Amino acid sequence: MDNKPGFSPMPIVKIENLDKYFGHLHVLKNVSLEVPERQVICLIGRSGSGKSTLLRCINFLEEPSHGTIEVDGIKVAGGEKGREHRQLIHDVRLKTGMVFQEFNLFPHMTVLENVIEGPVIVKGMDRKKAIELAEQNLDSVGLLFKKDEYPNRLSGGQKQRVAIARALTMEPRVMLFDEPTSALDPELIGEVLNVMKKVALEGMTMIVVTHEMGFAREVADRVIVMAEGELVEDNKPEQIFNAPKDPRTEALINRYRTGAN
Amino acid sequence: MTAIAKGQDAPKSQAELLYEIQLRKERQFRGNVAITWVLLVLFLLLVFSSLEIRSSNGTTELAIWTFEKVTKDGREILEKTRTGIATFSIGLPNEGITLNTILVDKNFIAQNFTFIARGIYWTIRISLFSIALATILALLAALARLSSVPFVYALSTFYVSLIRGTPLYLQILFFFLALPQLSINLSGEMAGVLALGLNYGAYMSEIFRAGIASVGKGQREAALAIGMTQGQTMRRIVLPQALRFAIPPVGNDFIAMTKDSALVAATGFVHELTWNAQKVGRAQFRSLEALIIAALFYWSMTILLSYVQNKIETRLSKGER
Repeated sequence: MDNKPGFSPMPIVKIENLDKYFGHLHVLKNVSLEVPERQVICLIGRSGSGKSTLLRCINFLEEPSHGTIEVDGIKVAGGEKGREHRQLIHDVRLKTGMVFQEFNLFPHMTVLENVIEGPVIVKGMDRKKAIELAEQNLDSVGLLFKKDEYPNRLSGGQKQRVAIARALTMEPRVMLFDEPTSALDPELIGEVLNVMKKVALEGMTMIVVTHEMGFAREVADRVIVMAEGELVEDNKPEQIFNAPKDPRTEALINRYRTGAN
Repeated sequence: MTAIAKGQDAPKSQAELLYEIQLRKERQFRGNVAITWVLLVLFLLLVFSSLEIRSSNGTTELAIWTFEKVTKDGREILEKTRTGIATFSIGLPNEGITLNTILVDKNFIAQNFTFIARGIYWTIRISLFSIALATILALLAALARLSSVPFVYALSTFYVSLIRGTPLYLQILFFFLALPQLSINLSGEMAGVLALGLNYGAYMSEIFRAGIASVGKGQREAALAIGMTQGQTMRRIVLPQALRFAIPPVGNDFIAMTKDSALVAATGFVHELTWNAQKVGRAQFRSLEALIIAALFYWSMTILLSYVQNKIETRLSKGER
């Protein structure tokens, strides 16, 4: 563990000169970003601005076209092939936990089985130990009592909380959230945001793609605005929300303020 | 108790009444279907009962025909014999009518029942081996079909096209009759299992392919994100969900296959149900009886398998999204 909380000389995530093309479409344009340990970053921007793609590049669900990603000292260059490259990607994925918009719980497994799947199968953790850890995490998202249910018996908010517990049980160094509340009914958003806030307070490094401006304002250490595949503005939330420098940021904030998105 | 009594007294809501009416209608419908089934079975029994009703000159006679052994010219032969059962003093005038049902040779049935029944063992054995082979082939073909390597994809589509483009009967004969010319001698069972397995594998590959395709991209991504390899993702996340999707249609195919195993009789060397029935039927000119027995066996097996399939499906539906 870090013996100087709040300060880390080396960034835990380091993105350098990242480019991503979908065919002819240039969705990420020479993006560079450093994330110090324990920081919570919210990525905001209109749909199509490349924020989800950037997030998915970090754990290589999208393979970057050029540039490098470094997570906790493991440096991977985009656009390569081969066994060594795949091994590096695997190592990066062990360092990152991901939460999806559509939850993506495994429907053929109970809640507990969902959560221990990764530790047991991927890390080869002892099943008993995995269950212990899983129950601890399910308890912290408030769903230990649902551990033997199948996901189809859970509400959307509960599913997402299980998904967070599943990612946490892999003991990642960084958590990636891809619009975690966008598929939820409005009344269920709060419970998920509360769990995320709790995770942030426990000192987890988090990168969150979100439309929840309240969450960004309250929890984020940094808010990054993206537009057309570029990082437009990168600042503390107060600055972004109260004194945006870039006109595109201002337009975005105004859109949220008027309730449209 | 009082609470329940109170509940019974309370007037029922419109929705409850409608629901009850619908339930009653459904029950009535199912009851009528069951009754009709029983009647149809009874009718079938009557058709093969060997009974005769003759009504003429104001009397009605009920009689039964049987095959009896008689000695004629020093030889023992079977002769159709009529035995009266009952006579009633009411009936049609003059010539009247005679209603005859089909005469089956009960002696033959009694003598050959176990011989034909022994074929069930081979029918089930062939079906089990074939379905196992078919499942493996279907899975491989389905995975190959989803491959992005052109060679692998082509291999799968070629196999499916070739097998679906030729008759199963011919395939069985090919393995049994044509391969020996290439010095590959297969037993009748082996040829049958290979042909059935290859054939059903081709058809079932489509089921598995659809099953795998039905598992969303998000499932794969979630598995990859927790660090699973492609193989682990396939084995632990995609295939279990795909198989659940595939079990009902595979069950149908298994039932169809137990019946298609009859075609293996064409080799002449596998003593399964149809072959046995054919053999004794032809030898004693009693194919009617022999084939009916075989048909009843197939039918019972099918009903049993459908029942099992239903049970499995109900059990599998838990945990569905």
